[in-house]
Amino acid sequence: MAVEEKPLYYLSIHEAQQLIKDRKLSPLELTRSVLDRIAAVDNKLHAYINLMADSAMAEARAAEAEITRGKWRGPMHGIPIAVKDQLDVDGAPARIRQFTQGVGDATAVRKLREAGAVMLGKLHMSSLPDADLPLPRNPWNTDHITGGSSTGSGAAVAGGLCLGSLGEDTAGSIRNPSAFCGLAGIKATYGRVSRHGLAPLSWSLDHCGPMARVVEDLAHLLNAIAGHDPKDPTSSSISQPDYTSALHKDVKGMVVGVPRDYIEECAPRTAPIVLKRVGEAIDELKSLGARVEEVKVPTLHLATIANAVIYYNEFWAAHRSAAAAVLKTGAPQRRARIYLGLLTGSADYIQAQRIRSRCRAELAQVFTRVDCLALPNQAGPAPLVKDVGPIDTLFKHVVPEYHGPFNLTGLPTLSVPCGFSENQLPIALQLVGKPFDEISVLRAGYTYQQHMKWYERRPPI
Amino acid sequence: MNKLIEDNLTAVLKREGLEAKAADLEQFSEIIELYMENLRQLHSVNLGAEELGPVFRPEWSGK
Repeated sequence: MAVEEKPLYYLSIHEAQQLIKDRKLSPLELTRSVLDRIAAVDNKLHAYINLMADSAMAEARAAEAEITRGKWRGPMHGIPIAVKDQLDVDGAPARIRQFTQGVGDATAVRKLREAGAVMLGKLHMSSLPDADLPLPRNPWNTDHITGGSSTGSGAAVAGGLCLGSLGEDTAGSIRNPSAFCGLAGIKATYGRVSRHGLAPLSWSLDHCGPMARVVEDLAHLLNAIAGHDPKDPTSSSISQPDYTSALHKDVKGMVVGVPRDYIEECAPRTAPIVLKRVGEAIDELKSLGARVEEVKVPTLHLATIANAVIYYNEFWAAHRSAAAAVLKTGAPQRRARIYLGLLTGSADYIQAQRIRSRCRAELAQVFTRVDCLALPNQAGPAPLVKDVGPIDTLFKHVVPEYHGPFNLTGLPTLSVPCGFSENQLPIALQLVGKPFDEISVLRAGYTYQQHMKWYERRPPI
Repeated sequence: MNKLIEDNLTAVLKREGLEAKAADLEQFSEIIELYMENLRQLHSVNLGAEELGPVFRPEWSGK
């Protein structure tokens, strides 16, 4: 049985939920295993900024009692998870908002609780107000960063410090740490997952979404958190499918578009090993039955910049009342965003919105011919901690790269591991779908994952 | 940092009643100058009659 083959804390949600449902695994035992793991290695990974061990054990005990009484709520029941500090959690301080107490659950957190998940605590994110917190380390090699800004989510999920996590993505913040830490991560279509209770970075670009070790876990997490929320004015009422319906190994007949021109434009800033691994992954999708077609999206090269312009301008607007304090004591990333937002004029913001409209129209045209796009997810493997300065991650927002265009256009985007670098650091493929068609990217990602089985490797920590 | 950019930033900070943290302008000069160059690039594209359009519609159908 899988339970005997690997530590409980490394079970996927998909594996654990089946064992819990069959009463072969107790939520209490699982939560205790994860808490022991946290005690053993988080002094090296620095993922948690607020561990809620006592309440987590109480929740696990309640889940166990409920399941014993025959009331199994579904796949998330009794599963220990943790969330990025950007999401409000009742009873927990939100450092990003500089609250000393939680103010209630974010909608996505509330939905996870209703699904029976066990809340372990809150995870580090870069650009927290108190910048002197230790930076999370990459479980594949602790000399390297996890990527951000869902820094703690990357470290915690990859290191076995929770079974899944919620992150937030404004310019790649779910996909980047997922790629660097060898995880699956998805930013669903804008409007699909409620932003209520999510501290805003940029209202029109922020996406809340799950990070996990395998694609099927993303389907379970999305099933729990997606759906209309009247508390979020941009929440969509489009009906939500059962995301586990995407979990069948088949891409036959799918058409995968490759924006070759754009990849070549970004190539001088992309490590050759990334281009190699992504090329191999696209070839695998082809060998599995997908048809691969080159596509052109002429304004894609401006989309990252437009994303940054909207990001910083909306960040400035959202954080204006706290700007004086941020400039005095805030982390360098927050201060830099304030300056860039202040330098962005209304004509710049409007031009960025016009590019957003144009880019969206071009992609809509492309998606009349293809089911998803495939392209790299990162410029290189995770850099060394010592090589990354306090604002270096901002630079990727202002040169054409792989994440921003899909925040700008709000499209569903999946990160799935596609191999390792020469020094054994993870590399990922990015799959982009039509609006509200998360199913296609999950299906393509799941098929590829099951064929290659990169998830079977575990970090050495 | 380019003098024009620095003067501009100082002016908008002053308008907002704010002050840059000491050494920030020097520390962040590279990204600020790159960003200003990007703003110029953003306006270099001919968008013809492209309108602003809705900022974002969650129900965008792709049509």
